[in-house]
Amino acid sequence: MKQEISFTLNGSKCTAAVIGHMRLIDLLRGPMHQTGTKEGCGEGECGACTVLVDGQAVNSCLYPALEVEGKQITTIEGLMDSHNTLSIIQQAFVDTGAIQCGFCTPGMILSTKALLDKHPEPSEDEIRSALLGNLCRCTGYVQIIQAVQHAAENLKGKS
Amino acid sequence: MRKFDYFKPQSLDEVWSLKQKFPSAKYIAGGTDLMVAIKNRELLPPALISLRSLPELSGIEDQAVIGAGARIGAAVTISEILHHPILNKRFPILRDAAQRMGSVQIRNVATIGGNLCNCSPCADMAVVLLVLEARVRLQSPGSQREIPVHALFSGPGVSCLDSDEVLTDILLDPPLPQTQTAFFKKGRVKMDLAIASVAMLLNLEGNRCRRARLAAGSVAPIPLRLYDLEKLLDGADIQPELILEAQKLAEKSVAPISDIRSTAEYRRHIIGIYVRRGLEQILVERSQT
Repeated sequence: MKQEISFTLNGSKCTAAVIGHMRLIDLLRGPMHQTGTKEGCGEGECGACTVLVDGQAVNSCLYPALEVEGKQITTIEGLMDSHNTLSIIQQAFVDTGAIQCGFCTPGMILSTKALLDKHPEPSEDEIRSALLGNLCRCTGYVQIIQAVQHAAENLKGKS
Repeated sequence: MRKFDYFKPQSLDEVWSLKQKFPSAKYIAGGTDLMVAIKNRELLPPALISLRSLPELSGIEDQAVIGAGARIGAAVTISEILHHPILNKRFPILRDAAQRMGSVQIRNVATIGGNLCNCSPCADMAVVLLVLEARVRLQSPGSQREIPVHALFSGPGVSCLDSDEVLTDILLDPPLPQTQTAFFKKGRVKMDLAIASVAMLLNLEGNRCRRARLAAGSVAPIPLRLYDLEKLLDGADIQPELILEAQKLAEKSVAPISDIRSTAEYRRHIIGIYVRRGLEQILVERSQT
């Protein structure tokens, strides 16, 4: 039984016909063709599938798609600006070498965005807490923490 | 993902009429445990009835609104609890437990009611609500009842809820003056489920304990009130010999098992240490206030 839902995806109003057992990640990667969001464990442990729903980081692998009715979703595709250049957070991840295989990166960046939107000047502890739900098997996290600090500085300079 | 229908009722009445139509449907709140269980085929419900958009299950009301104590809607998320300044000030142990639960992504979705209704022996909110002696309101068509939170837990993963009953609110009495609390949790990493946890609340007059309440997680089939320890501490002067006695009694009061997370011996050991540490910490805090 499909139900029609409306939501905002990266600033654009969308509708989709959604079946009951569809998860948000299936909606994004399937009918919405937004494959930047990755599925790792599918159990809410690794955070690769992290997206923002109304500004809050959630695991899209555990989120029933029907629950996004009327909500605003932000995925990694929504972070680039209108000139198709990388956002400050994305650029900071590139600059600090916080990306190796890249599979965790979209989730890492969205968790970072959720943090910096609320706490523009986080301590290292706050950064570590905010990224606790995002696993990276390549970098060892040091560069990722640096990327968040770097992004926070650059965002401050901009505002 | 195994197929199921998904309903988003907007009121409790609508929930019950759906439940009547689909008796084997399961309720879903945050779904952070349920969706994993479905993925792993431990549960195969034909339909889910979402409790997320029910006004009856939302909101936090503190003393300003309801006169005393607090009411927490069952569908309130762990993040909402963590970021509620008045609730945190009056019941700091709720915040202590909330910030140790899962990741940001999980806390933004997981609900306090879901944490209780899953009846997991390791549920952090359950352990804390046991020492706060919270009550829960259960509603079913045409009736409602209020029970102490400990009565909710029948066994591992089994609650006392009737099939159409919905846990709607968690009710807290106002905190007694001169009350101190502590919460400890051992996990492999910070966001993990508890290997063992201890919550304690002491009502003190000087160093004399007027009233003690203690509970432990992951050491019995259900979240466990430690009544024997409470009996030892009630009315007693908290001093070093008593603290050691409490540590030993704590180790004897729990009935842990060995599983993938830990051994029974380690759990028992940790519970004793946490009880000692909690009592010491509360005395130090007490001397500073």
